[in-house]
Amino acid sequence: MKPAWVLVTFALAAAGAVNGQPDLEGIWSNATITPLERPADLAGKQTFTAEEAAAYEKKVVDRNNADRRGANGDADVATAYNNFWYDRGTKAVGTRRTSLIVDPADGRIPPLTPEAQKRVQETRAWMQEHATDGPEGRSLGERCLLWATAGPPMLPGPYNNNFQIIQTRGRVVILNEMIHETRIIPLDGSPHLASNIRQWMGDSRGHWDGNTLVVDTTNFSGQYSFRGADRNLHLTERFTRVSPDALLYEFTVDDPTAFTKPWTAQIAVTRTKGPIFEYACHEGNYALTDILAGARAADKKALK
Amino acid sequence: MRSKLTSKLALAVAGLGLLASAAPVWAHHAFAAEFDSTKPIKLHGTVTKMEWINPHAWIHIDVKNPDGTVTSWMVEGGSPNTLLRNGFTKASLPPGTEIVVDGYQSKDESNKMNGRDITFPDGRKLFVGSAGQGSPEKSEK
Repeated sequence: MKPAWVLVTFALAAAGAVNGQPDLEGIWSNATITPLERPADLAGKQTFTAEEAAAYEKKVVDRNNADRRGANGDADVATAYNNFWYDRGTKAVGTRRTSLIVDPADGRIPPLTPEAQKRVQETRAWMQEHATDGPEGRSLGERCLLWATAGPPMLPGPYNNNFQIIQTRGRVVILNEMIHETRIIPLDGSPHLASNIRQWMGDSRGHWDGNTLVVDTTNFSGQYSFRGADRNLHLTERFTRVSPDALLYEFTVDDPTAFTKPWTAQIAVTRTKGPIFEYACHEGNYALTDILAGARAADKKALK
Repeated sequence: MRSKLTSKLALAVAGLGLLASAAPVWAHHAFAAEFDSTKPIKLHGTVTKMEWINPHAWIHIDVKNPDGTVTSWMVEGGSPNTLLRNGFTKASLPPGTEIVVDGYQSKDESNKMNGRDITFPDGRKLFVGSAGQGSPEKSEK
């Protein structure tokens, strides 16, 4: 029997290697039509057959076609603009699962704890009440500060579903096109930041578990709330090269004060052509000004 | 002055929108907050410039009025990165190009609208396929 190190060497050689580590480098896309949560009408159905997957892909691509006009003015204006601005996935994940969430088995995000529900409701109520008071009332995404699918964790969205991984001897770098965020993740075994240092994107540390890169993120500020998570979020991401042109990306959300149990999702990530263009997100002092100016115009009308 | 609580609440919203994101389409910001669904507007104009700003490009057009005067409008679109990835460049929509814009006027009643449906006068979509206006073929994914 061959010693373990021989097998490890074969595995590294097969995947290529960077500084003796499995090679995850490249520009990757996580675009897919498979939803994070299993839709209600697919309850109890974990996977599609090949035919069902093809039919579902067709249905979702058609539903997402922004060239189709809305049924009324509200629906139409909400669709924003033509389809050529969007760059969504067109295929279901290769496993043909009906949700990206693999645990729990129902493919749904577990219920929020009562205190998290209360917090989310308060935030929503505050947002509704103060939505047009000033820029502070608009979301971090609208303000180009953070984007809800840019992560961590990273999820597919309507466009710019691309990220680049660069490996050095002691660090791995993940550049996400959306919203031009870069994580520089130490692999040197150093501890997380002190618990009183809190960041919007948390503090990520990485290590290798065999051929899998494991990235552990804590120290979230809670001011960026991923699906209702709070500052106690402990996120574990796993990146595994499964073929020359594919990664398996998994993440587990563990936040006992926000979710009633941990949950895990898996996304197939495929190599894509570069380069990643600088996103340089800024509303150009148009859209946010328009939103607030529109609200002021409505205020004036109400006074007449 | 805002209390600490409201400041915190104001920030805690980036991921919350996703909680209710069953909607099939999803622009960068809420277009319903910027544009008035009761003010549909359709214009035939000439491109004067295009601002390649993320997350929303703006196309500037001049529209001739029946009395011979000209009114300038700004039309909001989506992310230029998507266009770049598909092989389009700043030269793809040169000044002088005639376009038809069907959308909704901004709520502040300035001369801004969303490009809900932008076409060439003959009905072809912009930035699609290889036909006309220097539009290269969509790059392979």
